[in-house]
Amino acid sequence: MAQYRSLRDFDWVILILTLVISAAGVLQIYSATHDTPKWEDAWWKQVVWIFLGLVLMWVATQIDYHSLLGQVPVLYAATVALLLGTYLVGTVIFGSRRWIGVGAFKLQVSEFAKLVIILLVARYLSELKGDSLEGKELLKLAGLIGIPLVLVLRQPDLGTSLTYTPVLAVGVFLAGLRWKQIAIAVLAFALASPIVYFSLQDYQKARLVSFVDPAKDPKGKGYQVIQSKIAIGQGEMWGRGVTKGSQTQLRFLPVPHTDFIFSAFAEEHGFVGVVVILGLYFLLLMQIVQNAQLAPDRAGLYICMGIAALLLFHVLVNVGMAVGRMPVTGIPLPLMSSGGSNTLSMYLMLGLVNNVRLRRFVN
Amino acid sequence: MQESGETKRVRLLFRIALVWAAIIAARLVHLQVVSHEEWKDAALQQQEREVEVPVPRGTIYDRNGKVLAKSLTLDSVCVNPRRIPDAEVAARILGAVLGQDTGELQAKIEKAAAAKRGFLWVQRRITREQSERLRNFNLDWIELRQETRREYPSGQLAAHVIGSVDFQERGSSGIELALDDDLQGQAGAVKLVTDVKQRAYESTTESAALPGEDLTLTIDSRIQYTAETELAKAAINSGAKSGSVVVMRVRTGEVLALANWPTFDPNGKLEDPHAITGRNNLAVTVPYEPGSVFKVITLSAALETTQLRPESPIDCHRGALRVGNHTVHEAHGGYGILSLADVLAKSSNIGAIEIGKVVGQANLYEYVTRFGFGRPTGLPMPAESSGQLKPVKRWGSMTLPSISMGHEVSVTAVQLAQACEVVASGGQLIRPVIVLKRHRGGEAEREEPRQASRQVIRPETAITMRAMMEGVVLHGTGRNAKLNGYTSGGKTGTAKIFDNVTHSYSRYYNGSFMGFAPVKNPEIVVVVTLNRTTGGAGYGGQVAGPVFRVVANDALRILDVPKDLPENLPENLPEEKVQPVNELSVDGLEPEPDSEPVSSIPPGLGAASNTPTQAPFFSPTAPRDPNAPTGVRVPNFRGRTMRDVLEKATESGIVVEVVGRGIARAQAPEAGAILPAGERVRVQFDR
Repeated sequence: MAQYRSLRDFDWVILILTLVISAAGVLQIYSATHDTPKWEDAWWKQVVWIFLGLVLMWVATQIDYHSLLGQVPVLYAATVALLLGTYLVGTVIFGSRRWIGVGAFKLQVSEFAKLVIILLVARYLSELKGDSLEGKELLKLAGLIGIPLVLVLRQPDLGTSLTYTPVLAVGVFLAGLRWKQIAIAVLAFALASPIVYFSLQDYQKARLVSFVDPAKDPKGKGYQVIQSKIAIGQGEMWGRGVTKGSQTQLRFLPVPHTDFIFSAFAEEHGFVGVVVILGLYFLLLMQIVQNAQLAPDRAGLYICMGIAALLLFHVLVNVGMAVGRMPVTGIPLPLMSSGGSNTLSMYLMLGLVNNVRLRRFVN
Repeated sequence: MQESGETKRVRLLFRIALVWAAIIAARLVHLQVVSHEEWKDAALQQQEREVEVPVPRGTIYDRNGKVLAKSLTLDSVCVNPRRIPDAEVAARILGAVLGQDTGELQAKIEKAAAAKRGFLWVQRRITREQSERLRNFNLDWIELRQETRREYPSGQLAAHVIGSVDFQERGSSGIELALDDDLQGQAGAVKLVTDVKQRAYESTTESAALPGEDLTLTIDSRIQYTAETELAKAAINSGAKSGSVVVMRVRTGEVLALANWPTFDPNGKLEDPHAITGRNNLAVTVPYEPGSVFKVITLSAALETTQLRPESPIDCHRGALRVGNHTVHEAHGGYGILSLADVLAKSSNIGAIEIGKVVGQANLYEYVTRFGFGRPTGLPMPAESSGQLKPVKRWGSMTLPSISMGHEVSVTAVQLAQACEVVASGGQLIRPVIVLKRHRGGEAEREEPRQASRQVIRPETAITMRAMMEGVVLHGTGRNAKLNGYTSGGKTGTAKIFDNVTHSYSRYYNGSFMGFAPVKNPEIVVVVTLNRTTGGAGYGGQVAGPVFRVVANDALRILDVPKDLPENLPENLPEEKVQPVNELSVDGLEPEPDSEPVSSIPPGLGAASNTPTQAPFFSPTAPRDPNAPTGVRVPNFRGRTMRDVLEKATESGIVVEVVGRGIARAQAPEAGAILPAGERVRVQFDR
């Protein structure tokens, strides 16, 4: 099939949108960290990650996704093994074992696990027979995803583990999940949530509590959300300008180059900047969905929709957290937040979307 | 079928995502477009801080640049109990250096540490040696904070003028209170933009710091010292409860000294109960009935508004005058006809009443006002009293006679000094001033603006009054106020203190003397009052006169005023057996219910019985016969120098009116004539 691919078929729109959003991210990382000695090299590191990401994107485009789907069991086994490895040799940062050293780099296994889960869901659902999903199969798939999810959750890393769920949810929904099953799932979730709540780490519980009432303990857990809201509110219509946001520059805003990069961006670029950047995300999302609908088979559709769901979930949860509409879960804003693993996995996913697109003409 | 089903589900997912996105977008609009002001305020609140920049309180100097009050910067010790590793060791270190009880200190530290307090004052304002020793320990839980303390290096000197400050260094009395804002200055405010760790990023000056003003007072410490010591001596010797001395420079109104007794040490604690009485600035805040010194005003009014002249005869009714249904007596004895000048010299009450009657209510009130009574002098001192002066329409039948001799009116010592200055300066009412100049760091010195003086009596009147007041010193009631080397004029006064409980005059007196020197060209005015003296020593001339003499003499010497009399004169002239006492005795007078205290003594008490008997001064002596020829033979002054003339005149108790300078060329009356009492010899000098 390789002979049918051409550069004209490559999704240039996705590439351009990705690069524009990434550039905005680099600028914001620079602005937020330029006089913080600890992080002042974050912006050019991010540039390096983006170039690496472009390489990986090209690689992800080249290998036919069907052959990738064939390797799912191997990839899955390797992911679970690596996640277990983080418990043994993982680097502890901020009290969480998420990173595993590969030479000079430390990679966050859970970020790459997203790709495996997308492929796993796509393969599993595309191989099903019949229009609708049987309960037994649903449970089996949920179990398969549950293993890495729990491993990530116990690192502990609630945010990343939660990002696996929309892939599953959108997948099974599209696969013809019956309304009765949805009702059961919702009921099960409702029953399970108190149990889940009590199994959460203390800091995770505190985050949920402070999400409900951030003013209750402004210097404690609610602090981040209040500072974030002040930053966004201060941005007003046109923003305070690059390197001029006082919340960001005076370090009232926590981690302004990673999880709260949206707040920093909103402070310095204002409502107009926010509308533009969210508009770009929307276009990117639409482009992915369009590719999903053009996919040659159900596997391609599931891959694209899984990626779209993941991207959307990331954006909405991150922005929702920044504006105080979602609990603080610590997941990055894709393409903008500083961070290697996240950037690489995002570029890989967009490469997969292109992979599907280039193979849309079934001969 | 399958494709359309998936498309439907994709669309449904899309809508769910859209709803979710809309919630977040609405929130964004709210934050950035609707309520951004609120968030901006929140940002400023946490990012900006106003910091006060303290300024030193101004220094107070006397007129010669001597420091009277100054703020010193000292260290205060506080500790952080939570950082103290061992309370016992800490208490031992601090106790040893600061001389505090170790056990108590340890208990305090342990208590504070148990309460999780991170701050504890150990001792405020320690000495420099102590702070040096503590600093050398270099312990992280000891903190030395700079605080200032007000020091009064001269202690009690001019304490009432300067006043004192409270524990926050805000004025609590005296100039410190009256000019508190000027002395305090204005702490500057700096706006700091701080980051999350309170590190300042940038600062902008919100309001510039305005250092406190340094004040130079008109007070001369040397004169002040003499005034205070002499006052204290006299007060103790006479058994007075309190007293004041005011020394004022003629023509400028500058207060050279203002002393009160009892006094206090402004370095002491404000709360000290023993110090409360001493803190009262009596000369400014407490008015009293002046008594006979007020006759100066009555007579000035007479010279201005009536045909009466110094030599005009006044009928003194042989010591008893019926006024309404009261009988007024002289304090001692009685006189027949006295010249107006002698009414003052002998301080005749009846004479003053007779003169007052001629002057009339309206004129007397007018002149009392012109001399500045009934309103504050405007000295920058807290709680200045304006005294009490009733408007004419509220005057009773006894008011005119009472005011004529200084009762039914109350005045402060400062008001008296101001009034005496009218006479001394040739008729000008000059508001007293106590601040000479002001100086603020980095600025030029500024002279304190003066109020314009006002001519309130004619210069001739003032000159005549001066001559008559000189008579008081030379041959009247004020002889022990005579100076050494200078001519002087003045007036004694003794007023019984009205007892508000029994509504009658008590056996306590206010003795005063107000005078000026030298007579020809007065340089200073001195007012001395001694309150609540008992017995004969209470008589003004007796108790207050000597204070005047020492203070005025010292002041003139300090001010380098040229002498106008030969020095080392015999201190006292051959003393007459009886010193005429010009005290008021009003028979059968009870205060009217709605009136001010009226000079009265219980009915049946005559002047003699009223006179305290324990005073040797009043030992039985025959009253002077008012009809006996009292005059002296006028010597020949022609051809003599001024010094000779004055010496000779003093010897024979003659008042000389000096005109011109050089050698005596003419005199009136001529040599050999008998000089009527109270009259003076006019001597014309020429080169």
